Amino acid sequence: MEPDKDNANPTILNASDLPSRRRESSVKQREDGGTGLFDHLIPHYNYLSDPFERPVSASDSDDDSVEDIDEQEIYDLISSISDPEHPLSLGSLAVVNLPDIRILPPSSPHSTISTVVVEITPTITHCSLATVIGLGVRVRLEQALPPRFRVDVRIKKGTHSTDEAVNKQLGDKERVAAALENGTLMGVLRKMLSTCE
Amino acid sequence: MSDIQQYLLDYDRNKRDASAVAQQSATRLQNGDLKLLALVEELGEYFNGEDGATRSKTMSYLAEVLSLVPQRALSLQQRNLLCDFILSRFEDVEGLGSCAKGLIALEERGKWDNERVRAIMETLLYHTHPLRQYKQQSERYPVLRLIDTLMAKYRDALRTLHDTTPDFMPRFISYFDGEKDPRNLMVVFSILRVPMTEWTIGADAQELFDAVFNYFPITFRPPPDDPYGITAQHLKDRLRDCIVSTPDFAPYAYPALLDKLDSTSMNTKRDVLQTITSSVSEYGPRTVGLYSITLWDALKFEVLNVQEEDLAQEALMGLAAIARTLSQGTSGPLNAYLRPITKECNEHLEDAPTKQSQASARILRTIAGVSPEVTNLIMAGVLPNLFLLFQTADTMAKKRGLLEVLVQLVRADIEVYGDWRSVGLAKEHAPPNALAQFRDQAVEVMVNGLSTAPVKEVSFRLVCLDGLLELSKARQLLSDDDVGKIIQLFHAIVTDEESYGKDEIKEAAMNGLGEIAHQKPQVVVDRAFPAFMAQLPDADVNSSKGYVPVLEAFAKLASEEKIFDTVILRLKNKFSSAVKQNASSAYIVALLSAMLYALNQGASKLEQNHESLLYHQDIVLPLLARTSSVDASHPEAFDDEATLDLVGRICNIIVRSQPLDQQNKVSAELYTLFRETSQAELPPFSTSTSPEYNRTMIVSTHLLASFRKETTLPCEVQLLISSLANYSQQPLLPPQVWSASLRQISLVMNKFIATPALKTCLDPLLKAPIDIFDPLRLDPPRIRIIFACLKGILLRSSPILSTLYPQLLSFLSHPQYGLAVAHGFATLLQPDDLLTKQNHCQISGLHKQKSFALLVPNITQSFRDTSLETKPNYLIALSGILKWTPFDIVVEEVGQLVPLLLQSLDLKGEGLVKEAAIGTLTSILQERPKQVEEHAGSLISRLLNTSSSIPSGKVILSSDVRKEIPANSMRVRATALRCLTLVPEQLRQEIVLPYRGQVVKKLTAALDDRKREVRGQAVKCRAKWLAVDEDGDED
Repeated sequence: MEPDKDNANPTILNASDLPSRRRESSVKQREDGGTGLFDHLIPHYNYLSDPFERPVSASDSDDDSVEDIDEQEIYDLISSISDPEHPLSLGSLAVVNLPDIRILPPSSPHSTISTVVVEITPTITHCSLATVIGLGVRVRLEQALPPRFRVDVRIKKGTHSTDEAVNKQLGDKERVAAALENGTLMGVLRKMLSTCE
Repeated sequence: MSDIQQYLLDYDRNKRDASAVAQQSATRLQNGDLKLLALVEELGEYFNGEDGATRSKTMSYLAEVLSLVPQRALSLQQRNLLCDFILSRFEDVEGLGSCAKGLIALEERGKWDNERVRAIMETLLYHTHPLRQYKQQSERYPVLRLIDTLMAKYRDALRTLHDTTPDFMPRFISYFDGEKDPRNLMVVFSILRVPMTEWTIGADAQELFDAVFNYFPITFRPPPDDPYGITAQHLKDRLRDCIVSTPDFAPYAYPALLDKLDSTSMNTKRDVLQTITSSVSEYGPRTVGLYSITLWDALKFEVLNVQEEDLAQEALMGLAAIARTLSQGTSGPLNAYLRPITKECNEHLEDAPTKQSQASARILRTIAGVSPEVTNLIMAGVLPNLFLLFQTADTMAKKRGLLEVLVQLVRADIEVYGDWRSVGLAKEHAPPNALAQFRDQAVEVMVNGLSTAPVKEVSFRLVCLDGLLELSKARQLLSDDDVGKIIQLFHAIVTDEESYGKDEIKEAAMNGLGEIAHQKPQVVVDRAFPAFMAQLPDADVNSSKGYVPVLEAFAKLASEEKIFDTVILRLKNKFSSAVKQNASSAYIVALLSAMLYALNQGASKLEQNHESLLYHQDIVLPLLARTSSVDASHPEAFDDEATLDLVGRICNIIVRSQPLDQQNKVSAELYTLFRETSQAELPPFSTSTSPEYNRTMIVSTHLLASFRKETTLPCEVQLLISSLANYSQQPLLPPQVWSASLRQISLVMNKFIATPALKTCLDPLLKAPIDIFDPLRLDPPRIRIIFACLKGILLRSSPILSTLYPQLLSFLSHPQYGLAVAHGFATLLQPDDLLTKQNHCQISGLHKQKSFALLVPNITQSFRDTSLETKPNYLIALSGILKWTPFDIVVEEVGQLVPLLLQSLDLKGEGLVKEAAIGTLTSILQERPKQVEEHAGSLISRLLNTSSSIPSGKVILSSDVRKEIPANSMRVRATALRCLTLVPEQLRQEIVLPYRGQVVKKLTAALDDRKREVRGQAVKCRAKWLAVDEDGDED
């Protein structure tokens, strides 16, 4: 029992209600309105398809289009992080929310650097672990995004009693680096990130 | 030298020699060479000596001799004498263990009377109490075994001793105090369990309880070389058996256990919870009633604030066990137990959906599934409040949270009262189901929710749907009318509702219909089928495709056995009228697809059922007639190869289970398809026919596939083979017809040639005029004939393969067609939808092994010797084989294969080859990581190159990376990353660590891949590699 949890009874969102990328290929895009049930009636290795005639490289036409990194992708990267207090994801606790993620394009045409801004919403205003959560989000994004992105993680305005102080901590590169040297803290972060896929 | 002298001499030198001496004495004793009296007299001197060690060894000698004399060698009088003698030796502190062994040996040689047992027990307690004064666990062990034997065989004697001696019990209990050896403890627990369960222990209960509970929790870890094989679990189980043995312990057990529940050790908590669960099952309703609320107050925290999931599970089991025990007793205690539970859960429901409201749902669901009494009390205690909260709820989320609880309760109800097809654990004579009172309200709330909530409220509607489905399953709960309404609602969602999001609702509704059909087939036929039929037009006038979802849902219902026939019948009728009304080809194809899908669902039923004869008449024959006809009955859709393929498949699935005589009738018309034309003027026997005749070869192929081996073909086999070979070489054949005719060759080779004839079956092809293996005449059509023949033969694992394969392999270095041959190898072991067991094909279980063994070593050998230009052909052929070979066959050759696989990754283009190579490398990493250790560096760098969008060696500005067309396809890039993710998992850290920096750095390129899927894989891969040295820190 851990009676010292800041919020012992948080509200939980259902997985079906969380924002997700609708798989374009499988849904909606079908003109006939079906679910594609009959598409697999005939096995793909059936005798009418000819292995001799198949394109020699498996380069599928999909490769022509470029899928850019968007807000949903950032959300998918961080919503599966575990809360340090509960065995629940930041997404289902509504700590990270899709509308609070923004990607800012490069500020000048000569620059390639985009910025990702993530605002997190602690479950209660006095949550003492807000900094740790912020740090977790930051570490995750730094590991998972290409170097042309700057990461800016902050507490959403008005959702935390000391949001400015926390933001200052999260924005301070040296303090972040120092925090990551701390073994105990890294242990907590590792546990939070272990549920990421 | 006397035996005892010899024994004492040998004892320290060699234990086995000493035992031999004892054996010798025993034999002499048996033969009468040695008198017992003499033996004992000889010992006297040593027993009375000063040296304790000698006294002990002397006792050991006596005990050993006694254990070696045969049964009945000693008279009762002698045994009594010996018993008295040994008992007198208990005064001596030395030789205790041997004394006990001696007594055990004597007991084995004749039953004791109660007086004797009593004397032994009292002597033990008088002279050797407490047992812990003997330091050697091996000394104590025989004593414990002796007492255990007494407990087992002379239970009455000991109980009388307990009943008649006031201070016996305390002395008995304290006798075992301080035992620490695990083997001895196992015996102590088993000894003490007897008084616990069988004796009146009264005032001694606490002492007895403490004697065992002192050991709780067991934290013992067996030493690595433990000779006795006793684990902590053994001890835990025995200790738990003691604790739960009598309800008299409850006053001491529960406070002590609950105290330990506050422990910070998860193992202790787990132990406590398991013990509580088994105790409430054993102590009985009267005792449990006294502690039920105390236990609830403690256990609930484990569920409301989950620390570890398995602890929560265990606590739930405990809570359920209490309810189960109490429902065996009177209603008072059960009510008293459930009242605070429903009260607290009701409170948590007020702020649903929260972590605690979800936990409350789990609690209620688990407890309610215990017995009908409990189910009814919980329903009555929770549901009125739940509906009230629902009416006043202000958010959708809250409503959803509340309904989730309702659904859970209905599930519990079904567990207890059963569904329409089976009775639950309540059996027949259960009290009436309390859910019935809330039935109408529940249906109304959820029907409303499902039909009026906006489509974007996915989770809310999903819960409503789930709830309605459960309600309709509950045994004798809803009327057919109500179930009908639910069916109509589901049906409307499937067919009419607009698509939203991931379409979870539609999918759930479709599956829901299937589940209801399983429970209430007739209602589904009556209610849903007319609606389905009404939505399917006879002919589609406008080009709307609205019928597709309807057909999909309808065809899916065929999986339910009881309505399969009706589904097929309705689809068939729809098809006939659509053809009559000149419906569009698209609609006809959709109907055929639905029919095939439905037939596939019921394929197993078709095989057993002889109604399939009816399908033969009603479906196969009309379809064949339409295929071959040229008049108005021939739909335009049937002029398309893909449609004919569907037709062929439908016929195949029905014909293949027909009896032989029916198949013979079809076979006679295999190529004519009931046309008036003679067979000789039709393909494959004639090569100068019009295109529509060529097309029907596709249907013929499926028919040929459906035949049994014994079916008579419409012409002689050799003629058929050579006709097909000639026919397939025509240059202008449509590709599908071409493939179909080749596949017929495979089918004939596999099914219609008897094993003895197999050797010569290829002769017509091998000799002139065809001469298939002539390298000068090699061309693509002939290459395919070769592969088609082999495909049919290799499944039979025929010995002829060992002469055919080398000829084929030699073509790999053919200057012009080597590459085409190489690609053909992928077809050999590829699974096939026509050459199957269901189609009566001969498939040897070892065919893959056989082909692998004949092909792969040969390829690796030739690869070394061949020229640089043809090397890729061998790699391609190899990957084609590996792609379809299970890894346990490949594993033998792994050492040879790794270098070849790595080189495959350097090929330009050839995405499929790379994918197959990476696939095999992945399997090797998973199963035989040692084999790639020496290649780690080259594996890692090749995978990195393959995963990257940029061709290796090319320098590109980072800003332009995403504009570059990647060298490898998305699938290859993603597969390479997946394989690279395995490397740090499977290889030892010291091998992987040097590459960490390089991999982590280079992967940033893949993080910026143009494709999302590749990026996702790169993220996972990079996280694994970043963790490489962190793991090291922890260890």
